[in-house]
Order: sequence, then structure tokens, then C-alpha cells
Amino acid sequence: MRCAGAAPLLGSLPGELDPTEAALLGAHLATCEPCRARLADIEALSGVVRDGLRDEAARRDLSIFADGVMARIPASAWQGAPAGPLERLRAFLRRHRVLAAASALAPALAALALYLYIGRTGGTGPSELSVEVTSEDLAAIVLDTSDGPVILVGDGSEGT
Amino acid sequence: MNFPSVPPSLPMALSDLELVERARGGDPEAFRELVVRHQRRVYAVALGIVKDRDLAWDVSQEAFVRVHQHLAEFREESSFTTWLHRITARVAIDVLRKERPGRRSDVADVPEAVLQEAAPGVLATALGTNPQETMLRHELSARLTEALGELPDLHRAILVLREMDGLSYEELSLRLGIPKGTVMSRLFHARKKMQALLAGYAGIDAPGRGNAR
Repeated sequence: MRCAGAAPLLGSLPGELDPTEAALLGAHLATCEPCRARLADIEALSGVVRDGLRDEAARRDLSIFADGVMARIPASAWQGAPAGPLERLRAFLRRHRVLAAASALAPALAALALYLYIGRTGGTGPSELSVEVTSEDLAAIVLDTSDGPVILVGDGSEGT
Repeated sequence: MNFPSVPPSLPMALSDLELVERARGGDPEAFRELVVRHQRRVYAVALGIVKDRDLAWDVSQEAFVRVHQHLAEFREESSFTTWLHRITARVAIDVLRKERPGRRSDVADVPEAVLQEAAPGVLATALGTNPQETMLRHELSARLTEALGELPDLHRAILVLREMDGLSYEELSLRLGIPKGTVMSRLFHARKKMQALLAGYAGIDAPGRGNAR
């Protein structure tokens, strides 16, 4: 690798180059003092850019900045937001879909567990055992019928 | 610094995500606290890209307004800071394009002659060995905005997003809509130009021309 090819690769973040490029650059740097010096310049410049912009921002009076932002947000934008604990729980579940999916499956899983339990204990109860398991809008019912257990999963709002 | 005081209704130790959650729930004070917490860094990034202080103010405010508009879509896989800075960069780059419609964003590369003016290592050596290193660094920092103003728009945006936000070549490529190789090349040229400018401001003598093989 020559300096012209190495120069644009200098200052790459860890893992940013493909392994071949990284190996070639490493080998070049080991033997090329000017490119090592260029790399040192890049690192020095990074500090100056960050410090310079932060210093410049620190000099700016931002005491009314937040007021300006808040004034640009219409009051109606706050009124429509969900505020109650139930709404916040629903918003949380919307954002965590894995949890939401698990909660939706909970009635079916509970019904399956009950079915296995009844099967293991020999099903000596009444000829028709009805157990209802509900979670939010879903419900599952296990019917221990003469033809064997039957699991019904449906919408809990229908009053099954 | 003049940070507004935190409203008494908000505990001081709330994390960004907790404040986001409250803001989503309709709490304006929580959102205000997010603004106050991040405004200075957002302003620094915006200033670095658009280089004009008043424009940077407008860009920063617009970024926060957009953040509020899209709070419901924020996914917690990335940090709030990363998301906020992404939006800031997008707003700043859009403003650059609108402000200079007749100007090509892919300005020609820095001439070779400029690249050869400063010898490699001059800046690092001066900052690393000068007994008044802190003063020199302070002096260079004070003139940084001026130096950034000398760069073509796209070079400046690449350099600032790389140094302030640590964006990868891939992210810069996606954000700016240019190939990764072009990002790398322009970042190199932007750095060289900045080093030459800062060395000039600091009166650092270049001991000779850069060596290249």
C-alpha cells in the first residue's frame, strides 16, 4: 500500500475497515513515518474540533432557547397525549412488541398447562369441567367433555 | 452558562428515557428538561455544519420541535442522544441545501498544493510539545468556527458529524447520499485543509513539504 491509498484510511474507527484494508494499513503504518505523523495530526485535530465547537456553544447564551422551542409546540400537542397509567401501559406494550405478543399468548399457554395437569391426574372431575382464563381482550376455556378436553380461545369481550 | 432551573415537579435524577416517557404522556416540563439538557451540544453540532450562529439557533430549535413531533416513533434501541443528533444533522444538511440552492454541495477537492503546504505531524507536534499547549489549544479552538467557514459545505458537514457525533463512513454515506469512498476522500481533504488553516492561525512553521511515497 502506498501513502496515497493509506491516507484516506487514516483515522478510521475501530472495526470500520474491512480486515484486508486494516491489515494493509497496519503494515504501511509500521514502516511509514509520514503516515504515522498524519495520523497524529488527525487525532490532534479531532480534539481541537470538538473543543472548539463546545467552547463556541458554551459562549452562547441559551437561557431563552428552551422557551423558544416550547412556544413552537402547539398546546394541542400536549392535550392529545396519553396521560393515565393504563394508557401509558398500553403505550409501553406497543413499543415492546415481544412482551405484548407474550401477553397475548398467556391465556392459551395457561389453558395448555391446565389441560396437561388434568390429563396427568386422570381427569376424575365432573364430566364437563369449564375453566376460563382471560388476559386483556383474549380468553381461553378448557372443556373436559366426554370426547376429551377441548380448548376454546376467543375474544374475551364476547363473554364466553 | 445560563441554564434555566429545573422545575420543582421533576426529580433531578430522571434519565433521558424516563423524561421521554413522561413527555409522551403529555408532560411539557419533562420535554423542556430534555431540551435544556441537550441544547448546548445540539447547538454545537448545528453551528459546526451551518457555521452561522443565528442559523444554528434556528436549526437547533427546529430539531427539537421535530423530536417532539416524532416522540411516539422513538424506539429505545438507540439512545435518545443518538436519535436527537441524527435529526439535528438532517435538519442542518437540509438547511444548507436550501440556503445555497445554486451551489453544488460536492465542491471540488482541496488543491494538491494546499495539501503539501503543511508537513505531516506539524499540528500534533505543536500541540503535544508546546510548553503553553493549553494556550495554543485555546487559541485554535477560538478560531475554529472561522476555519470551518473556509471549508466547502459538504467537507464541513462530514468533518463535524465525524468528530462530534462519531458517525461511521457508512452512516455518513447514507446521511449525505454519497458513496462511502467519497466520504473517506472528502474527510481526508477536509482534515488536511483544517490542519493547514489552524497551523497558519497558530503561526506554526512547516519544516518542509510532506513526504509521500
